[in-house]
Amino acid sequence: MRSVPVLGENKLARLLALLLAFTLVAAACGSDSEGAAEEEGSDDTTADAEDEEPEVTETTAPPAPEEDSDTGGTLIWAHEQEPPDMHLDDPANNLSITSWIRRGLLEGFYGVSGATEFYPELLAQEGEIVVNDDETVTINFVLRDGLTWSNGDPLTTADVAYTYNIWAEGCDLEDDGTIGDGTGCVYLSGDRTGIDLISDVTVTSDTEISMTFVQFFAGWKALFDEIYHPSFGADAAEVNANLPEWSNADGVLVSAGPMVFGEWDRGVSMSMVRNDSYHGSASPDARNDGVAFVEGVQINFVADTDAQINALKAGEAQIIMTQPQLAFAERLATDENFTVASTAGPVFEHWGLNLLNVHLSDPLVREALAYGIDKSEVMAGLYTPLFGDSLPAEGLGNTFWMSNQGPYENHQTEYEGKNTTEAIAKLEEAGYADSGDGIFEHADRGRLTLRVGTTGGNGLRELQQELIQAQMAESGFEIVIDNVDGGAYFSERPFAEEAIAAATTQGAEGDPTIWDITQFAWVGGPWPGGQAASYLGGNGNNPYGFNNADFDAKAPVCDATVDDAERAACYNELDQYVTTLNFGDDGLFMIPLTQKPSFYGYLSSQLSGAGVAPDANDAGPLTNVVDFQFSS
Amino acid sequence: MFAFALRRLLASIPILFVATFGVFWATASVTNPLDALATCNTCDQTAYDRIIDLYELDKPIPTRYLSWLGDVATGDFGTATSQGERPVSEIFWERGRNTMLLALPAFALLMVFGVAAGTYSALRQYSAGDYAVTSMSYFGLAMPTFFFGLLLQVVMAIWFPRWTGWKPFWSSGMHLESFGQYLSSVTLPVLTLMFVLLAGDSRFIRAAVLDIKSADHIRTARAKGLSESKVIRRHIFRNAMIPAVTVWSLNASALFGGSLITETVFSWPGFGRLIIDGINAADLDVVMIVTVTIALLVVIMNLLADIAYGFLDPRVRYD
Repeated sequence: MRSVPVLGENKLARLLALLLAFTLVAAACGSDSEGAAEEEGSDDTTADAEDEEPEVTETTAPPAPEEDSDTGGTLIWAHEQEPPDMHLDDPANNLSITSWIRRGLLEGFYGVSGATEFYPELLAQEGEIVVNDDETVTINFVLRDGLTWSNGDPLTTADVAYTYNIWAEGCDLEDDGTIGDGTGCVYLSGDRTGIDLISDVTVTSDTEISMTFVQFFAGWKALFDEIYHPSFGADAAEVNANLPEWSNADGVLVSAGPMVFGEWDRGVSMSMVRNDSYHGSASPDARNDGVAFVEGVQINFVADTDAQINALKAGEAQIIMTQPQLAFAERLATDENFTVASTAGPVFEHWGLNLLNVHLSDPLVREALAYGIDKSEVMAGLYTPLFGDSLPAEGLGNTFWMSNQGPYENHQTEYEGKNTTEAIAKLEEAGYADSGDGIFEHADRGRLTLRVGTTGGNGLRELQQELIQAQMAESGFEIVIDNVDGGAYFSERPFAEEAIAAATTQGAEGDPTIWDITQFAWVGGPWPGGQAASYLGGNGNNPYGFNNADFDAKAPVCDATVDDAERAACYNELDQYVTTLNFGDDGLFMIPLTQKPSFYGYLSSQLSGAGVAPDANDAGPLTNVVDFQFSS
Repeated sequence: MFAFALRRLLASIPILFVATFGVFWATASVTNPLDALATCNTCDQTAYDRIIDLYELDKPIPTRYLSWLGDVATGDFGTATSQGERPVSEIFWERGRNTMLLALPAFALLMVFGVAAGTYSALRQYSAGDYAVTSMSYFGLAMPTFFFGLLLQVVMAIWFPRWTGWKPFWSSGMHLESFGQYLSSVTLPVLTLMFVLLAGDSRFIRAAVLDIKSADHIRTARAKGLSESKVIRRHIFRNAMIPAVTVWSLNASALFGGSLITETVFSWPGFGRLIIDGINAADLDVVMIVTVTIALLVVIMNLLADIAYGFLDPRVRYD
């Protein structure tokens, strides 16, 4: 009779099990370990990436290309998002990827630099503002000489007029000649802010054009950020039809940017080819003022972030730009083949307080909360390890201006650090007392328990919540995390129909108890005036319940202020309404935490030059695509 | 048999109604396309109106479902709002082809290796080979698909080229420039799909063969003097195929309906990614076409399995 071997006595089985276990462990420790094996003596590439702070390069100016580098090659960018279509102004399409791609194809009056500032892109100089006697404002624009489309056509003011006419086509005009609320407009758009103030467009010459606004619009530099060519469509309806696939009857649409649209293999990739007629970039971040070095760009749609990093490490892509992840820097930052960098963008994370909450309606409680939050600990614990010193260590203290913008002022310096003593003092002043377990309670309002919610599944945000939750416990607050997965958070919590009804009616209607504290990001930009819409009384974008007549009156005054310095100061004053108690007891409902960094990695072993000056708004990796260059 | 098949198909219609309505209602309830405008400071009412009109958000869910059903009955599967408002039928064939390019080789290899591994393991019970197959099975059953896929990417697309200087596989993406490129890009996702499913299939077939191996008729066949290979081929193998067909029908509907995780990890633009993108974008027409496809595949594969039983087991009668 044949004996039956037992697993424990079978050496081969044990050896196999050991080999499999080793493979699992080796894979789990990450592929960085192969760097240590290959480069003995290197103290950067170790398998213990979690124990050391990865080195992150703050890059606002891209590295200069090497003189002996080649031109040519196709830059491959692995990205998870694929545009549903290329019609950016279609309200159903608001993905960042669409605007990022179009940044390589079209240019406008002004571009946005890596420092989140406007710079003249197609313009030869800054626009000249003339305040007319009837208080209308005329802005005179002068285009650069030698501007050219990819088909060789000169880019002139006729193209600018054409662009405006497409926007205005079919609109029911007001008496003053403006397009009003957009009723009747054929061109698909969800945002005509600023365009709706234009009453006249006059072409003076091929390079000179004037636009008259019925009142000064502070964000005028953000207008006409993309000029269209007349071949985009004979009318607005045709433009709407051609933009989604970026083609007309003659083929792909012409470009004024460094790239021309190539092919789109849905679900797989999108390609662009170099525009050899490109007139050169005027960006202060670009080092190359001619045509792009690379022959083209291919965007491979790689859905998974880890798969993107693997594609980068496998050499199948040279650049990725993805949501910041804790493992991102660990897997790439310690490998000298990659450059991982970030810049502070105009998007900022914040804690927004519901002024209709029974506790938070008391300004003393809000002050106590502000004193109890230690933004620098959040920065040190979460953001500095990933992004170095590209973000201010003390966090953010302004919701209108970002830290890398000139007019920035930190209006929450009073609350810097964790001042538990002051926090508790404020609570006691408000009538709260320690319930015995460290959490305070009020005789009438009850236990000081507040829910904070955000988009669940976002690792960084969830860690941020937990950090602040621990901080607040020391100051007598019981913070309960109340997240909803993904984008559904907004419509279920702060922007739920009942919640907005309560916020806009000061609690007379709706349900003010749906949320207490919200954590998400607002998108800013070089013109901060749009932020005011989040705080205007009765506005559907204002979930906080803030309703201040002075603020509502002041916001349009700021927007109408012509002088840049005066306008900047005006916005700073507006910010104090929301981030301090300097202008009333209904303030301090916004606690900005930090700017969101734009985070990208590229294969520096293949690239001798990189041209990324990203901001999280509408720039992206192709902003300075002219600077990307492969090593020879 | 034809009448049997027809009866089965007709009986599946109520199931399809329930399945499609359930998915439609669930997706419409938990997703809201207007969420995309929640934090847009400068979007005006036309933005909201456009989205409400595009997604018919002003109508109740049952009305929208009936509207969709009516369109489908006339051959109009709608437009994909998440895909530039292209006709859903156009996207369906495109993505279906891509899924077939992945699923067909995976299924074929799964059938071959599943039978081979399970049969070998059963016939060589308690041998080193049996333990090896068993260990691999446990490994595959315990291994999350996404992790195995990422592991393959790291080992085969990053480490292997660094060790050998040869890069035979793409880490992700579908490349159809040539047959060689197709093989390079499909290998890792096929291995991922196959390995995870093979783990279960080989165990199942092993159990079936073990059960049959000890049957009386097998002992009789040997006693009659049949060679071992004939015993295995004519008696053991054929009888083991009956439960194998059951497992294959389940695998086929899962593979051909799109493998969400594998397609996401390897960026393979098939049904799996299509439905994920559709759910994220609240694109109901896309979600429904994939749902209907999967539901039909389950029905058809089960029907084919039942028909196959009749060929494999003469005792099976259709009535």
